[in-house]
Amino acid sequence: MNFTLDMKVGDNKPVDVKTTSNRGFTPQEIAKRCSDRLISVSDTASPLIRDQARAYKNQMEQVIARYMQEAIKSDRTTLYNLLKSQGHGDVAEIIRRL
Amino acid sequence: MAFSGNYMCTSFKQEILQGVHDFTASTGDSFKLALYTSSATLDASTTAYSVTNEASGTGYSAGGGALTNVTPTTSGTTAFTDFDDLTFSAATITARGALIYNDTAAGDPAVVVLDFGSDKTSTSGDFTIVFPTADSSNAIIRIA
Repeated sequence: MNFTLDMKVGDNKPVDVKTTSNRGFTPQEIAKRCSDRLISVSDTASPLIRDQARAYKNQMEQVIARYMQEAIKSDRTTLYNLLKSQGHGDVAEIIRRL
Repeated sequence: MAFSGNYMCTSFKQEILQGVHDFTASTGDSFKLALYTSSATLDASTTAYSVTNEASGTGYSAGGGALTNVTPTTSGTTAFTDFDDLTFSAATITARGALIYNDTAAGDPAVVVLDFGSDKTSTSGDFTIVFPTADSSNAIIRIA
């Protein structure tokens, strides 16, 4: 008797590449990636379960995006105060208005 | 010919049996992902990281970016491991593919070759490698 180890790297498209030009990713774009990473819904799943799973995934995506926006706003407040305390009030104001 | 697909490097398969690589999070080896231009010829016979035809540009340094390992796990009879997504921020880069290699082991041995399918470009933006869902059917490295 012998044993075979079947070692695989993703068969078709193991990684995806996302790029931006002259901007960063939006919370919605990152939330989409996040939900894709968290929840994988098989195309061959029972239609009832598949539809429920996809609806849940969409809901999760919206919640993640909302909290990401909150995190960004909060981080800008931290940056605003840091810059202001370092004597960069003009730059701090730009950050606050973003 | 440049990139011709995605490969688990043959030397890596041998090194797994020799116990060269440790993918355990935090305490394991450090793995990196290096980007390459379409002129690079990387395939299953690639054995180690090389600077030849490596991508360059703002926001990218030779050697590539450090990956965050996810400790290997199992599902059914399949073992798999994963990495967190990797982003080169505020970067101006064009790359056609990548090589994941072990930055801890002597000689920077190769793990997998990734073919992006076409040139991918970021201009003063983010260049992100998105890894697949970590499960027994999709994870980046699987042993069934």
